[in-house]
Amino acid sequence: MFGFLKKVGDYTRDAVGAANYLAQGLGVTFDHLRRRPITVQYPYEKLIPSERYRGRIHYEFDKCIACEVCVRVCPINLPVVDWVMNKATKKKELRNYSIDFGVCIFCGNCVEYCPTNCLSMTEEYELAAFDRHSLNFDNVALGRLPTSVTSDPAVVALKELVYLPKGVMDPHGVDPSAPRAGKLPEEVLATLPQATPTTQATPTTEETPS
Amino acid sequence: MVTIPALAQVAQVGLDLEGSFELAMRSLGLSPGAAHLLWLPLPMVLVLVAAVVGVLVNVWLERKISAAVQQRIGPEYAGALGVLQPMADGMKLLFKEDVIPARADGLLFTLGPVLVLVPVILSWLVVPFGQNLLISNVGIGIFLWIALSSIQPIGLLMSGYASNNKYSLLGGLRAAAQSISYEIPLALAVLAVVMMSNSLSTVDIVNQQSGAGILSWNIWRQPVGFVIFWICALAECERLPFDLPEAEEELVAGYQTEYSGMKFALFYLGSYINLVLSALLVSVLYLGGWGFPVPVEWLAGWLGQSVDAPLVQLITASVGIVMTVLKAYLLVFFAILLRWTVPRVRIDQLLDLGWKFLLPIALVNLLVTASLKLAFPMAFGG
Repeated sequence: MFGFLKKVGDYTRDAVGAANYLAQGLGVTFDHLRRRPITVQYPYEKLIPSERYRGRIHYEFDKCIACEVCVRVCPINLPVVDWVMNKATKKKELRNYSIDFGVCIFCGNCVEYCPTNCLSMTEEYELAAFDRHSLNFDNVALGRLPTSVTSDPAVVALKELVYLPKGVMDPHGVDPSAPRAGKLPEEVLATLPQATPTTQATPTTEETPS
Repeated sequence: MVTIPALAQVAQVGLDLEGSFELAMRSLGLSPGAAHLLWLPLPMVLVLVAAVVGVLVNVWLERKISAAVQQRIGPEYAGALGVLQPMADGMKLLFKEDVIPARADGLLFTLGPVLVLVPVILSWLVVPFGQNLLISNVGIGIFLWIALSSIQPIGLLMSGYASNNKYSLLGGLRAAAQSISYEIPLALAVLAVVMMSNSLSTVDIVNQQSGAGILSWNIWRQPVGFVIFWICALAECERLPFDLPEAEEELVAGYQTEYSGMKFALFYLGSYINLVLSALLVSVLYLGGWGFPVPVEWLAGWLGQSVDAPLVQLITASVGIVMTVLKAYLLVFFAILLRWTVPRVRIDQLLDLGWKFLLPIALVNLLVTASLKLAFPMAFGG
């Protein structure tokens, strides 16, 4: 008899608990109804990529010495460096250079290791194409600079959440010169006590790989 | 100008659109038979239009509320706030190629969606928007709806089987199993209400709740029945959390997998009309139908107006329609919110819930209602 009553009690408690959870869930979704949309209306609005964004690679033909370091550090030896040895001058003569962005994983190793800094990352990410072969960029295509989101008159440039001033959640209508929340690396550096010359040298070189 | 005396004449027996229309036609010089013939197609067209407009509003609400819950904007370019988006969807489906798979059974494949849609539209026959604002006040009203909704699983199973596709077949079988098992607690919940109002007619059920405004609504006397009915209605409409027949993660789109163009649109239309219909019936059975939270007769009395005055009659009818639609769409809103709140149940959990939880509770509810009716005939419609 008591076993049965206990069963009924447990069953009821289960049902009430389930209903309670349901009500809590409904509370969450109902609360979301009054929140502002957080979406970016993409073709008309775009987020400004962060400063260390790894987009399509830019390449300067004239700086390249055809050393092929980029090929060696690439996980799949992707860059194609087409050079011939000039017997008369005993120097490499670069003829063509290409990277296939249909295969590239944008790891940035080539940019990191290039001795003459002829490779760099851009903030271009719109690489959609009708044909995958058109993603194989030669040295002319690699030398083009992308249109910046901030300078495109057809696009409303929006700051990402971390670049917004303190307490601001909506990037619309934020003053572009308003500082982001928290301190910039330079400001953090300024607060640090001036240390010995050995440690002083490292942060400045890290700031901009010239 | 002809209609005003005619309206006043029929106002003695309540707002009677049919009578006043026929009177107006006859005063224009038509024979009674011709006047009746002119009247006949009007309610049918009206209900068809009401059902389709209801679906358009429903689709728009679904997309906008879904967007709001997920902090998106939703459709906004087709018309102001995207109100024309459902129209655009419908137009797209209208122009899409109608494909019948090569190895499918053409006849059954075509018949399936029709068999799903027709009973749902037919059920609108018994939905009252006012004392005389329904197509036909059949004595077996609510029973007719339950009977008609049993035809739907046949259509679903038929289209699933005829598609010659394993996902379609599984979806069709699930739809049939789900509809049949949730029909029983649904009918039992309705039975308790019917027992209290001593009638199967939807108009009588609403009238029985209209005594003291919001306090006399059935939801206070049948809270358990209300919950059971709403859960079962969601399952019958294949809404989340019970959308197993079209669970896209496992069954592509269930019985709809092979459908495109207008046949798919029929399924789409059917499911949304069914949702609106279920919401309307919940408001009729449990939320006082067209009744205003404060009885309109009391309001008219406080304002010193006669209930039978033509203007008051007109206002009463309008308030009735607005209240019915408002209650129904509040329930639709709740269903959409529920869609983004709860995850889909498994098929075994679904059948467990139907047979082991809802069915016994519905039976107990029925028995308790019966004994309460015997014990307190005043409050429980003895």
